Amino acid sequence: MSNSLKTSRRTFLKVSGTAGGGLILGFNLYSCSTMPDNPIFSNLEINAFILINGDGTATIKAKNPDIGQGVKTSLPMILAEELDLPWEKVTVEQAELDGRLGSQFAGGSTGVKTNYDNLRNAGASVRDVLVRAAANRWEVNAEDCKTEDGFVISGRNKLHYGHLAEEAAQLELSEAPPLKDPQDFKIIGKSKSDVDIKKIVTGQPLYGLDQEVEGMVYATVLKPEVFNSTLTSFDDVEARKLSGVIDIFKIDAMDNPVNRVDGVAVIAENLWTAFKAKKLIKASWKEPKGYITSLKQLKGDFKKGLAAKGEVLRNDGDVAAEFQKSGNVIEATYEVPFISHSQMEPMNFIADVRENEVFLVGPTQTPGSANALASRITGIPRENIQVKFTRIGGGFGRRLGNDYASEAVFISHKIKKPVKLVWSRENDFLGDLYRPAGCYHFKAAMNGTEVKAFDVNICTTSRYLYRGGSPAHGTEAFPDQQPAGMIPNFRVSYSPLLTNIPVGALRTPGVNATTYAYQGFIDELAEKAGMDPIDFQLQMIGDEDRDMPYSDHGGPTYNTKRLRAVINLVKAKSGWGQVNREGISRGFAAQMVFGTYVACIVDVRNISGKIKVDKVYITADCGRVINPIGAEAQVQGGVTDAISAAFYESLELQNGKPQAQNFDQYQKLRMKDSPEVDVSFIANGEAPQGLGEPSYPILFPALTNAVYKATGKRVRELPLKKHGLV
Amino acid sequence: MAIYNITVNGEQRQVDVDADTPMLWVLRDSLDMVGTKFGCGIAQCGACTVHLDGNAVRSCSIPVSAVGEAKITTIEGLSEKGDHPLQEAWREHDVPQCGYCQAGQIMNAAAFLSKNPNPSDADIENATHTNICRCATYNRIKAAVKTAAANM
Repeated sequence: MSNSLKTSRRTFLKVSGTAGGGLILGFNLYSCSTMPDNPIFSNLEINAFILINGDGTATIKAKNPDIGQGVKTSLPMILAEELDLPWEKVTVEQAELDGRLGSQFAGGSTGVKTNYDNLRNAGASVRDVLVRAAANRWEVNAEDCKTEDGFVISGRNKLHYGHLAEEAAQLELSEAPPLKDPQDFKIIGKSKSDVDIKKIVTGQPLYGLDQEVEGMVYATVLKPEVFNSTLTSFDDVEARKLSGVIDIFKIDAMDNPVNRVDGVAVIAENLWTAFKAKKLIKASWKEPKGYITSLKQLKGDFKKGLAAKGEVLRNDGDVAAEFQKSGNVIEATYEVPFISHSQMEPMNFIADVRENEVFLVGPTQTPGSANALASRITGIPRENIQVKFTRIGGGFGRRLGNDYASEAVFISHKIKKPVKLVWSRENDFLGDLYRPAGCYHFKAAMNGTEVKAFDVNICTTSRYLYRGGSPAHGTEAFPDQQPAGMIPNFRVSYSPLLTNIPVGALRTPGVNATTYAYQGFIDELAEKAGMDPIDFQLQMIGDEDRDMPYSDHGGPTYNTKRLRAVINLVKAKSGWGQVNREGISRGFAAQMVFGTYVACIVDVRNISGKIKVDKVYITADCGRVINPIGAEAQVQGGVTDAISAAFYESLELQNGKPQAQNFDQYQKLRMKDSPEVDVSFIANGEAPQGLGEPSYPILFPALTNAVYKATGKRVRELPLKKHGLV
Repeated sequence: MAIYNITVNGEQRQVDVDADTPMLWVLRDSLDMVGTKFGCGIAQCGACTVHLDGNAVRSCSIPVSAVGEAKITTIEGLSEKGDHPLQEAWREHDVPQCGYCQAGQIMNAAAFLSKNPNPSDADIENATHTNICRCATYNRIKAAVKTAAANM
């Protein structure tokens, strides 16, 4: 078991505050707990990120949670680059929640893009202070010193960083240290394997589920099958007869500030007993008023929602007038289902609530919010709450909500013992925050190959209906989404639909649905225009280089030149229009997603009416690529994850209960359905953007557009399974 | 509760658990060997794959009482130094994203390669189809199994 995480309260670092606040490059000087063998050298923390070791190596803190997006490797690479230390001399350690490190968060593909400048500065400031320490010692000008391979060199003088750390620690850090010319980068842009790779392939305790604390007991939670039902009564007589059961009690909806759902907590000496006891509880639930019993009912609700004509989010020109005079109007309705996150590591968290302090460890994308929630539940001040976060067995947005961490805190607070909460997979399906389902009605007027008017009316089960303060269309409808601004008459309307199905963020929230719908409909327009889909989109984008206003995530603008460049590269890479392989049908889609430009071509085969994806080509422009091998993995993974969702995934309901509560019913893509994914990047020096999400949404329309070519069937409702196509 | 003597990674271990306790929880919670992962509990995802006398099995669905004399191998015991050709190939190809399923993937592939050291691409696809990777690292799993087979 993990020695490093066995709670040793003596080592608790009390942080002064956990709100954001950017980097603090002020002086943080104290010795590390372990001294090097050679007593001449000290290990010194020069800033909150970097510990210079006496032997000239460095330990770099990975500030953000790694959910598989690779930031535990890529963010320290940025620091090490400017520190000018060879990667082999760097050890990466996961930071815990620490106010000095700024925002610690995994979401929105923001890890690299929001930390790039700060981390460069943090690394450069340490390099700079080491150089000045050397210059002082040698009585030369700092300008006459250079760094190389972790040494400071001036003429015949040469010392490694470990020799200089102590003197460097006496100097002020510069707030604007000199940065490298990107042409001199030795680490950024070079492939580095995951810093945890050895531990992963040998089964070391890295994940939340692998942690333990002294004296802990185990807990799991019984949840209602119809989402958001109220617990009316429960009988735990049989469950309590099991040896090892410690306690069984109700979790009231108001006990958990995140999801406000009733449940029954089962506490036992081991997890297996807790799981068994849960099955023996006979609970009665009262379904919520107006709950969704079937997808057919949901479809009817969407229809009503669309008919209601919601809030107009954008209205360029006069679409109605254009429709009236046009003799060429085309309409279509697209639909996306609720889908599950089904991350591989089930929800779990360890909480140890004591008299006036709390220790938390577990997988969370938002450790700061776990801290705040624990304070809210226990009344213990935030500065007395320590949060460690682990490597995470898949996030996909599910672990943004700390509903499970809150459960662990509540239970530990109540039983006054450290507790490890673990959900079963069935819990996971009953307690998921599903990707919102949505319905998209399009209407366009065309004149030859030109689109004169474009009207989209959207109704979704918005996740923002559950929050105050944010408009319901937030992350559901995007008024500036392409082709907004490219068509003179353009309207976007939105109406939210409130249901009892819990919803949350899933890989490119909202964009994963609108991209499918918009780019699918645009493919229909291309056909109507009698044009090649790529030529049609390029014509719509125009030859002029423009910065298009974009008021959502990835904005404030996107650039049409960069969009055209990814389209042209993927076209060339795939041999679109040049190479015709027998039995292959192709589909295309392209868009800016979260600041990264993606263009995708999918090759499919129609084998006796069933679709097989043969190959996917995708080009991304995410600006500067930090870690190419990791970047390629993110793009491949996003594309293949989307094939899984497009083929199979949908929350199916029977009398309001999810039919699928485990992987025997909820199908995920496996090896034989997984195509080769050819990934290319546009090499440019633009500011780095995120990659964990942008490849995901673009696959859906590229795939369904290919399916149309292969079968003549427009898939306007996902998944393909519904249509007998897989 | 009852006492069971089982062989894990070549060592005799004694555990005191209920007869129906799956090997997965014996390994993780009784023996503190957490490399074997919990994914679904119903033998669908493969995250909990271990070897029972050299065969890949789902430890979440094998009660401790059914193990008997069979020898169990977990990811911790696949190689002494973490240098099994599959572990090396996994590093070379940087296969994992979140990494949670990968111990199960490696154990599944190890049992397969021990029986079929010269697999075709189709053999590899069939053999690895059993395990879900939610991050969808399938391209690299396939490439790494090929590399490992070539190096064995």
